[in-house]
Amino acid sequence: MPGWFTIAKWEFFRSRLKFDARSSAMLIISLILVVLASAAAAQTEMSMNQKIYSISTTEPGLEHILESDQRFNTRIVNAYEASQFYRYGDDLTIIGNNAYLAQTRKSAAAGNALENTIKEYREIVLSSYNDVNNSHPVWVTVHDVERPQNFQLLSAEETAGRLEAGTEEDEQRQGSADLNDEGGEGITPGTYGSGSSFVPPEDIEELDEYQGKTFFQRQTISTPTHFSPPIPFTAILYAFLFIFPIYFVSQFYSTSVMDERTNRKGELILVAPLRAKDIVIGKTMPYILVTILIQAVITLYIMGIPTAFEGLKNVLLILATIFPVVLLFFALSFFGAILSRSFKELTFASVFLSVVISGYLFFPAMFTNIHAISSISPITLIVRLIEGESIMLDTYMFSTIPFYFVGLSAFAFGTFIFREEDLFTQKTIKEKIVDSFEIFLSHRYGSVFLLSIVFIPFVYMTQLMLIVMLFNLPVPYSVIAMIVLSAMAEELVKSAGIYTLFKRKLADISLKNAVRLAVLSGTGFFVGEKAVAVLTLSPIASSAFGSVMTMGTLLLIPLLLHISTAMVSSLSMYRLGTRRYFMAVLLATIVHSAYNMFILRVILFG
Amino acid sequence: MARSGKSYKKIRGIARKEFSELMHEKTFILSVLIQLFIASFSTFLVIGLTSFYDPTAMGDMELQGTKIAVVGTDDNELYNLLQESKLNTKLYSDLTPAYTDFYERRMDAIIITPSGPPQGEDILNVEIYLPKSEIKSTLISMQLKEPLEQFEQQVRDIRTQRLSGYSPIDVNIIKRGINTSSTYFEFVYVALLPLLVFTPAFISGGLIIDFITEEYERKTMELLLASPASLLDIVSGKVLLATAIVPLQSFAWMLLLRLNWIRISNFFEILLVVTLIGLILVLLSSSIALTFKDRGVSQLLYSMILIFLFMVSYLFTNSPLNLVTRLSIESIGSMESGIWILIYSLVAAGLYVLMRATVSKNTITFKR
Repeated sequence: MPGWFTIAKWEFFRSRLKFDARSSAMLIISLILVVLASAAAAQTEMSMNQKIYSISTTEPGLEHILESDQRFNTRIVNAYEASQFYRYGDDLTIIGNNAYLAQTRKSAAAGNALENTIKEYREIVLSSYNDVNNSHPVWVTVHDVERPQNFQLLSAEETAGRLEAGTEEDEQRQGSADLNDEGGEGITPGTYGSGSSFVPPEDIEELDEYQGKTFFQRQTISTPTHFSPPIPFTAILYAFLFIFPIYFVSQFYSTSVMDERTNRKGELILVAPLRAKDIVIGKTMPYILVTILIQAVITLYIMGIPTAFEGLKNVLLILATIFPVVLLFFALSFFGAILSRSFKELTFASVFLSVVISGYLFFPAMFTNIHAISSISPITLIVRLIEGESIMLDTYMFSTIPFYFVGLSAFAFGTFIFREEDLFTQKTIKEKIVDSFEIFLSHRYGSVFLLSIVFIPFVYMTQLMLIVMLFNLPVPYSVIAMIVLSAMAEELVKSAGIYTLFKRKLADISLKNAVRLAVLSGTGFFVGEKAVAVLTLSPIASSAFGSVMTMGTLLLIPLLLHISTAMVSSLSMYRLGTRRYFMAVLLATIVHSAYNMFILRVILFG
Repeated sequence: MARSGKSYKKIRGIARKEFSELMHEKTFILSVLIQLFIASFSTFLVIGLTSFYDPTAMGDMELQGTKIAVVGTDDNELYNLLQESKLNTKLYSDLTPAYTDFYERRMDAIIITPSGPPQGEDILNVEIYLPKSEIKSTLISMQLKEPLEQFEQQVRDIRTQRLSGYSPIDVNIIKRGINTSSTYFEFVYVALLPLLVFTPAFISGGLIIDFITEEYERKTMELLLASPASLLDIVSGKVLLATAIVPLQSFAWMLLLRLNWIRISNFFEILLVVTLIGLILVLLSSSIALTFKDRGVSQLLYSMILIFLFMVSYLFTNSPLNLVTRLSIESIGSMESGIWILIYSLVAAGLYVLMRATVSKNTITFKR
């Protein structure tokens, strides 16, 4: 029996012991309460917007329309009172057929709300007539048609290269023209049918059916009143449904890891004849299995029990898509549990990580059905699978590879320091991280070259997060902040290995070594970056692959940049010592961002 | 009196100890970071929503960037409406050339106008072709909505006369120059503001569980109890700190929103409500933590109760979140809000009694 299996079994039974009769009873009661409250809440409008607009009206006939909307705080008054209320700051005053607004934003919003409420009421009344041709005479049918994309997601350096070569426009044209030739034959207007394919709805029930669908599906047929752009919220709803259980289980997981560390409880397993790897796998496996089980239940709940092979395949694909997300969640909570020194720190670390990962999942998923960039988030793929679309292997790779990479490497680095001197001592977080690098670098195949490559997905995810974070700054500042911060992330990553080597005396602090390591680290980062570009960007930017390949000599500039900025930090560590590490990174960041700003000067300063 | 003065000193001592630990571990900074993240994420949403629901907010630039191919004749009602609405349209007599232009990105959408007369009996079907997975498709959908609704209204004006007993509601909304959509306004005041100001309260509820269970799991509670401080002093000190940091953070968020030109009325009443809710959550979870003494179980139970309370908040007017919304936009009289603040104070007082009962129950079992 393998070692990890014993640990897994043990972990499984131990976590069951934690729930005694009293806590299980409390949890079940609270679960029932949550279900009941959610069911009750689902009957309402699911919004806490009760009585936010005050309205006075002289028309009793309007009362039942206004009361149907919980936003309005309505009172029926006579004309004189109405004018008094209007003067004293009512949001809306209806006298006769006229609705008067005050000169505030709130009042304008109230007017808009009234307009919508009346419209909804009109729809309800008209729907009660069973005469579609006269009550709903106009229908809209929407066809979503695929056409070649021409957007690119390139790093600053590449954009720079293209700008300087002055070939951007031409290349893009080339790219889309090429695709035109390929795809042009297959798709003709005829394929999508003309007006004749429209089947008019027979009665009102069918109309309801169409409206019911819009919540989960992109609507294709509706009346103008119900015609709406694809709303991003479905994706968010799914994300919540899938992410919440992961969050809960990972809480237990990190508590269990932390448990081993408090009061040196884990000393016994560490002295057992087991490798650290086995212990980590054994401790993690039960939680991952439980989470996947929960996800399977959720998937079956949404999709229904599959009857045909096709349905089963989609269910399995959804699970395959959520798996890397689970992996990343657990890997980061594991690493967090090893780094933090107290439960408080752990709570914040896990909340922080969950918020960041959720942000990463939510933000691009909002653009599901709107923009191709949404496939960065696995949630988008899940939404597509639920909607019955198929996903390509390269799209799957594109959105999940960063998750696999970051998850597995966080597990690996955590396992490196799963040993006595890091688990049971009050070492600072920085020391522990450096410890894990040290073990990586002292391995037979470990080198700063590889370390830089390993870090690429971290940097990639960080930079995507930065876009979200900096979005609300005004334009030139947000771009500048983005340039500086992402340069800093890159420099931090490239110099971390060199710092570890110098600090822990794994390499002599000599000029030769400083130069050699800088070249290795810079090249490693460059190779990794290009690999990411080629591997992952090809599905969304149809011509990215080709352009990266054909750029040829232009690639030299980013390579030189990465090497020379790594050189800046390694040389300053050589001159100033490892104590001034942060200054060294800062220096490299300044050089790196100065270069990028010079390249992007056209965009920045007009 | 002297007894209570001493006790207060001890409570303050415990609170100070927790505070310095909190600062030392930089967890507080991390928590502020989390909230900053939520804030920027929400602002991102706000900007997204503004442009989604309020095409005018984006200016005319984007409107002119999209070109719409209309297939039909130039005397068509819908075509005339589309032309009136500042949209960039081009008329085609046949679908095929329009489709070629669409495919080669010279056009961004195709509309096939219905040929039937408005007075007729048949349903008029408008076919719209949109580019899949492109942001333009959303933009165009939004821009088309108004002319399409006008067209529906025109046809309905003629056809609904055939429905017996139907009379349209006639309310004439007189606008005063300010144009804002209720969706955007409600997003800011109903979702964003309450979420931001209550996040510190939610976090503090979880924080106190760590404060208390940590002492048990590290077996440091015995040491603390050996000091002159009683269990009640210890717990009260922790409760005091966890509650005190709530209004500080909420204040910062409201300040941030103000800087973003979001007007908030009744600043101090809102802070009072948030602090009260923070106190309620902190007292509740300190009772949970004292009962179970296990971090995982307590946190899970707390999260469940939090979700439960959140769901319940949908059910009645003047739930804490709704109360904050109504206070911030002056939709509630001071009498009504005062009554509800009193109600929440009573809830907090009740939970304080519960917390004391739990403490005294655990003091006995602990000393044996």
